[in-house]
Amino acid sequence: MSVSEVTLAGEQTSNGRSAEFRRGLAASTPVLLGIIPYALVLGAQAAQKGLSVVEVPLMTGLNFAGGSEFAAIQLWTSPPHILLIAGITFLVNSRHFLMGAALAPFIKHLPKRQVFPALFLMCDESWAVGLADAQRRAAAGLRPAFSLPFYLGAGLPFYLAWVAFTTCGAALGPVLGDVGKYGFAMAFPAVFLVLLRGMWKGFAAARPWLVSLVAAALVYLVVPGAWYVAAGALSGLVAAWFLAGEK
Amino acid sequence: MIDPMTVFAILAMAGVTYLTRVGGYVVLRNRTLSPRATAVMEAAPGCVLISVIAPDFVSKNPADLAALAITVLAATRLSMLPTVVIGVASAGVLRWLIG
Repeated sequence: MSVSEVTLAGEQTSNGRSAEFRRGLAASTPVLLGIIPYALVLGAQAAQKGLSVVEVPLMTGLNFAGGSEFAAIQLWTSPPHILLIAGITFLVNSRHFLMGAALAPFIKHLPKRQVFPALFLMCDESWAVGLADAQRRAAAGLRPAFSLPFYLGAGLPFYLAWVAFTTCGAALGPVLGDVGKYGFAMAFPAVFLVLLRGMWKGFAAARPWLVSLVAAALVYLVVPGAWYVAAGALSGLVAAWFLAGEK
Repeated sequence: MIDPMTVFAILAMAGVTYLTRVGGYVVLRNRTLSPRATAVMEAAPGCVLISVIAPDFVSKNPADLAALAITVLAATRLSMLPTVVIGVASAGVLRWLIG
């Protein structure tokens, strides 16, 4: 940041920053309501796998990536298989690489001491809201296009709501009893299927998923333990690699 | 209340996740991915999610298989909450009827 930019930022003052923060809050509120049911379901499932009301917010507060938490809890054993959990977390969250790369041109001007903490808050929702806003501002000729207080205003409520409501789910789960009874086990495939629908980009792009499904199902039937997830995921990635060569 | 192995697993998850969050910015900000690598990265989350629920597709319980078919159908046209409600309700009802 040059001296003139520092002066400019100073002139914008805390007043301008808090207005930007509030603009971020307003942008994230509607999406916020959508994550509360997820958070409650995840907390209840985690409690059923034996995680305590302290361990659940520890996970959701330090990891803060819902998809990987759902996958990890599904595979949770006592004691947990740490390599498997870490590997699956990596695979589910590998999309963050692409998201961070897309955001990089907009945050290059920011000092690293601001970028590294800000990236901790990067989830699907805060990323989408933050990137869309930066693109709009860039198109309107506003500089800098990326507004850090806006992004924080959009991201912090997600973080707080995620940690708070997964904890509520963990506390309420045991009151509800065995979640697996009465067909509640179907909540997981339902959540995952809707997530998949959101990622759907046509049948051709979904062929690796089909490979994963078949490979995982076969391994599940033949090999005991949770290896079917790694086997299915890797088969799909290999298929994606070869299918991409067609073009 | 706090199990050491659970804490290790959570710390491993948190570390891996944070690496994916900063990795794209650190490694890819001055580079472009090959189309093949991009295709693999884009397919990865879906491959993992479908693999996690694959056992449900080969369930030995006919009631659960029928409920899964209904849930798949619901997921293609409805949002999160109604899909979960329909999935859970159909599994509950079908198990009671035939399971």
